[in-house]
Amino acid sequence: MVPFRYNVRSLFVRKVTTIATALGIALVVFVFAAALMLGEGVERALVSSSRPENVIVLRKGSDAELSSSMSQDVLGLLRGNSAVAQGEGGGVIGEVILVITAELEGKGESQISNVLIRGMPAEGMKFRPEARIVSGRAPQPGTNEVIVGKAIAGRFKGVSEGGTFELRRNRPLKVVGTFAADGTSFESEVWGDLDVIRTSVGRQASVSSARVRLNSPADFETYRTTMEADKRANVKVQREADYYSKQSEQTSGFLVGLGTVVAILFSLAAMIGAAITMNGAVAHRTKEIGTLRALGFSRIAILVSFVLEALLLALIGGVVGLAFVQLLALVSFPVMNFQTFSEIVIAFKATPNVLISALVFSLVMGLVGGLVPAIRAARVSPVEAMRG
Amino acid sequence: MAEATSIVTLKGINKTFHRGKEPITVLESLDLDVPTGSFEALMGPSGSGKSTLLNIIAGLDRPTSGEVKVAGANLAAMSDSQLAKWRSQNIGFVFQSFNLIPVLTAAQNVELPLLLTSLSGSERTKRVQTALRVVGLEDRMHHYPRQLSGGQEQRVAIARAIVNDPKIIVADEPTGDLDRKSADDVLTLLDKLNKELGKTIFMVTHDPNAAEKASVQRKLDKGALQ
Ligand SMILES: Nc1ncnc2c1ncn2[C@@H]1O[C@H](COP(=O)(O)OP(=O)(O)OP(=O)(O)O)[C@@H](O)[C@H]1O
Ligand SMILES: [Mg+2]
Repeated sequence: MVPFRYNVRSLFVRKVTTIATALGIALVVFVFAAALMLGEGVERALVSSSRPENVIVLRKGSDAELSSSMSQDVLGLLRGNSAVAQGEGGGVIGEVILVITAELEGKGESQISNVLIRGMPAEGMKFRPEARIVSGRAPQPGTNEVIVGKAIAGRFKGVSEGGTFELRRNRPLKVVGTFAADGTSFESEVWGDLDVIRTSVGRQASVSSARVRLNSPADFETYRTTMEADKRANVKVQREADYYSKQSEQTSGFLVGLGTVVAILFSLAAMIGAAITMNGAVAHRTKEIGTLRALGFSRIAILVSFVLEALLLALIGGVVGLAFVQLLALVSFPVMNFQTFSEIVIAFKATPNVLISALVFSLVMGLVGGLVPAIRAARVSPVEAMRG
Repeated sequence: MAEATSIVTLKGINKTFHRGKEPITVLESLDLDVPTGSFEALMGPSGSGKSTLLNIIAGLDRPTSGEVKVAGANLAAMSDSQLAKWRSQNIGFVFQSFNLIPVLTAAQNVELPLLLTSLSGSERTKRVQTALRVVGLEDRMHHYPRQLSGGQEQRVAIARAIVNDPKIIVADEPTGDLDRKSADDVLTLLDKLNKELGKTIFMVTHDPNAAEKASVQRKLDKGALQ
């Protein structure tokens, strides 16, 4: 094999070309990785780190919690099945979900946006072990005390620890704490007492959805069939994980799709750049290549050598692009969750998957851009060594 | 009888190039015998086909027709990849413009042919040092070609040509780019390789001084040896 340092140094010697090409690739990798990080961020925000034995129950025909409404009596039917887990953190909880409009903090009166309020029974927090109070305290059950998710804490007037805001005229809610929930969309919600919240809006004896914890994930199919067959219940039973991933697909699809399309368009330009650079390298080094061939290096060895050089060039670009994209981890922004019509806050999230995908993407660009020049190099005749 | 001690045997060599539609015959019914261990100089006017002939002997190029036997191998019967491997084991190359890889040091350049063998790293280093010692440049091991004079570059190239211990060294105008003094050094070195190490040397040259060093002088004109 042609020694790899030959390629490393050849790239190093042509500093300006190498840097220009690598920066082109870096830009593409940046865009691509940003799109993936956005996807991960959206997924993370919407797909709760729910346990596989968790089930969400909605009224038949509803796609989302917000549009679902069931009678309180349904909870009894849901509980009356031996597949339902008993004890601490188990059982069935009914929740009410509603959206109110609130003024954005410090943006003047005209700026309002939606806030999602979730009313839950006292066991609600236990049902979601990822949720924990990060400051202040938990609300007293049966009171108008609420806690706010840390992603929206302070974004709206009164919706922050120590503040008060109105659920309805003369129905104030008091914020006593802030909670975190592993970066999920729960962090963009306000949580309060089920009964206080639903009576405030005149929805006594009804819930939006129910969460059920089963004894085992394997019980799901039987549980679903039994409950969905029950005419009195009239419900749709889904695994929580399935429900959330369906939601995130719709919301993230556009953003990630757009980012990927842009990255692919850019990558065409970057691949052409890499191809031009490598082609120049081959043309410039025809005599060197001829010499290596004369000395006995095979066509394959030359091909591999130039492909490796292109891959190295692309990898430099990839690493630079990823270094810059790390800065995006500091960025978060609100987007509309089309399922709930309320705001959720999305952060760019770098995962090992994103890093690996982006590096693979850069290597693919190097391979595609470098292949034709490498084939050209492999076809250089050893006679070229003799030419003046 | 000559056959047995010949290291190069060419019979009825024709070589025709095509420039567009027009065929250019460069070598015509050429026969050549180079005895093992000789030092031959090939002269002739520009364009007479000297380099073409040397390329055929060295297995860089193939004749249009004719028989080529070099170092016991029938080159016409070999594939391109077999030929490449054969070159690495049998031929040492010395070029007019040295052809060192500019991004590699003297030692790394000399090591290149050894990378095609199964020798260990320490074995390779030892051989590289020996080859550089033969050309008197052991102290320039870690220098890059641009840090060397032309004459030194050519001596590094000669070290690269002998590091694999090939039977034949082919040199196409090895002194063409050198001043008188450096040219003499290179010729003295080639002579030493021939006399002390028993290498067969086939050298193309325009320089009568260089040709004089060789034991046999041949002249190529209009596609045939005189
Ligand atoms: N690949 C090629 N295609 C077409 N013509 C070629 C090719 N290689 C060599 N020739 C022609 O063959 C003839 C002999 O070339 P060659 O290089 O062997 O000459 P030479 O004797 O080495 O000349 P010089 O002393 O100038 O180096 C020239 O006319 C040259 O133009
Ligand atoms: Mg010539």
